[in-house]
Amino acid sequence: MLDKKVLSLDELAFKVAREIRPGNVVAVGHGMADVIGKRLSSAPDAWIIDGYGGLISTHGASKSSKDKQGSSFHGVSDVASIMHGGHVDIAIVEAGEITASGDIVSLSTLSTAGLLAPGWSVDLLDNPRRVIAVAKHFNSMGESVLKSNCTVNPDGIGCVDMIITDIAVLEIGDNGFVLKELVDGWDIDDLTADGSIHIESSQSITDGEVDKEEETELSKLYDTGVAAMSDLPDGATVMIDGFAGPGGMPHYLLVSLRDHGAKELTIIGNTAGIARVVNFGTPAGKQAIDHTLLIDNGQVSKAVASYPVSPSASRPTAFELAYRRGDVELELVPQGTLAERLRSGGAGISAFFTPTGVGTLIAEGKQSRIIKGKEYILEKGLRADFCIIRGYKADKLGNVIYKGTSRNFNPVMAPAADITIVEVDEVVEVGTLEPDEIVTPGIYIDRIVIRPKDFSPYE
Amino acid sequence: MLEDKERLPREVVAMRVAKELPDGGYVNLGIGIPTLVSTFVSDESMVFYHSESGVLNCGPLADEDSQDIDLINAGGQFLATVPGMAFFSSVDGFAMIRGGHVDVTVLGAHQVSAKGDLANWMLPERGVGNIGGAMDLAAGAKQVIVAMEHTDRTNNSKIVDECTFPITGKECVSLIVTDVAVMEPTHEGLVLKEIAPGWDVDEVQSITLAHLIITDDVKEYEL
Repeated sequence: MLDKKVLSLDELAFKVAREIRPGNVVAVGHGMADVIGKRLSSAPDAWIIDGYGGLISTHGASKSSKDKQGSSFHGVSDVASIMHGGHVDIAIVEAGEITASGDIVSLSTLSTAGLLAPGWSVDLLDNPRRVIAVAKHFNSMGESVLKSNCTVNPDGIGCVDMIITDIAVLEIGDNGFVLKELVDGWDIDDLTADGSIHIESSQSITDGEVDKEEETELSKLYDTGVAAMSDLPDGATVMIDGFAGPGGMPHYLLVSLRDHGAKELTIIGNTAGIARVVNFGTPAGKQAIDHTLLIDNGQVSKAVASYPVSPSASRPTAFELAYRRGDVELELVPQGTLAERLRSGGAGISAFFTPTGVGTLIAEGKQSRIIKGKEYILEKGLRADFCIIRGYKADKLGNVIYKGTSRNFNPVMAPAADITIVEVDEVVEVGTLEPDEIVTPGIYIDRIVIRPKDFSPYE
Repeated sequence: MLEDKERLPREVVAMRVAKELPDGGYVNLGIGIPTLVSTFVSDESMVFYHSESGVLNCGPLADEDSQDIDLINAGGQFLATVPGMAFFSSVDGFAMIRGGHVDVTVLGAHQVSAKGDLANWMLPERGVGNIGGAMDLAAGAKQVIVAMEHTDRTNNSKIVDECTFPITGKECVSLIVTDVAVMEPTHEGLVLKEIAPGWDVDEVQSITLAHLIITDDVKEYEL
């Protein structure tokens, strides 16, 4: 057995790279997974989360671990949000044991058995779209990584989709292991050492030399706002950024959404459109663009907001008039609770306890709990189908920076929607934005639209 | 008629509140009289202002020719850039409030109860209102000071035994400064601390719907 060919780390990394699609987010675990994460040079533009707060872009030729073009750096809670919030496309974990039902014990857990030191293996396996286990097929005792049962508590149950070892590629199918590729010179019966585990053989086993798929370029840039939201359906929930006035509001995308015409929308935002009735420096004779466009066009059936109406009862907004007519519903949320609900929605947190609103109308119908002598109410995470935000500049990977107080809800909403569209003044080449200045990493941005040069936030 | 009796101007109320802001404290000012407070804080006491629009260390307003829609406070006013300013997202801005990092907030109110319940987000007759950051500030700031007129436009006392308007927070107000008196809500009730020049204790009580606890320590407004 010892003289048979096994794949090198680079060859193994090549097989992993084949699984990566443009724009994918790949979280790598410890050990061999970490090493492979640094050898994905053949992968298309993607991000590698390295566990040290880096969101490293594979863009560009330089493959050193820092100062990479398109990369950005984040705190540990941001990294946890990326993993728990379902933003990871592929998690790569070095396996110690894998069962036919896809249970996995990471090698770091197995080698520290009894200490319960999984590092971040458990977080990694929490919510990715796919899990690829990498491993040396046989340990130093000659035992196969493929097991009928795990010998210690698994880090993830039924979560492994693919196994890439130094002699084989397997998938977990409905009936257990399915062999997809086998390195030359090995036999299917070798894979489990004693042959005790059934392995289904795929009809098209290849010998490990696979043609590299044609690389498609990552493209998030759309020509117009309407084109960027062509698949936004009636009845969608849409997050719309903006604090109150014109700063940080995606005016061009608001006009696009009106032109697109989707109906029965639930809109989530700080206001439901007050810029039009409050003078935030609006030039004489002009009207500020805000949510009023959608209200007047009969597109909104519900708003979730903290500051939905005009500060002055004598100057009602379009939303307030529609609310009084019974045309729209309102869910009123304290502003900080709104921010935290959005953060939770983007970070995979279903609900949280907060003291804000205890004893008020906001607490009605909500669970409450006394924790260490203080009363809290349960608030739920908030997600949307679409999100439209306003950035200052973006690069082609979707990394975004903001200006001044126009940051507000933008970076909070961006992770909390299935499709996030950013409107920016300018799209720059990858590498122009400093990794340390990036506020919203491209992982959260699906589509980019440039605000036309002659576009005015007033009409 | 006490309705016509001279009361302190808004600026003096703001000046009295300014005394309460701790040196080096992080402070959030609401709209109305609270906005005026910063005018009366001396330059020596380093007070850092926080705004829900996502900025710390904000201060003076911008000149009319340098207004920038990307630089506003929570009231929608244009800010001047100052050294040490910091920008952040709404989730960070509210973590500062909800996490107890803001030392003092000064808010306006429709009603405050003797126990310190605050009602400032909705007038029932309108049927809809804006909460904004008020409930977060009421629940999260270390100290909540209310600065307001003692009575409303139709001479109803804004200081009550129990709020009849929807409340913003329960037992959260630690000091009430109005144009006739300074009062401290306590578990025992509302303690009268200071009264405006020219007013006596009975006059203040007669325009106040909550019972005032009068001690020997009642002073004239201290500025």
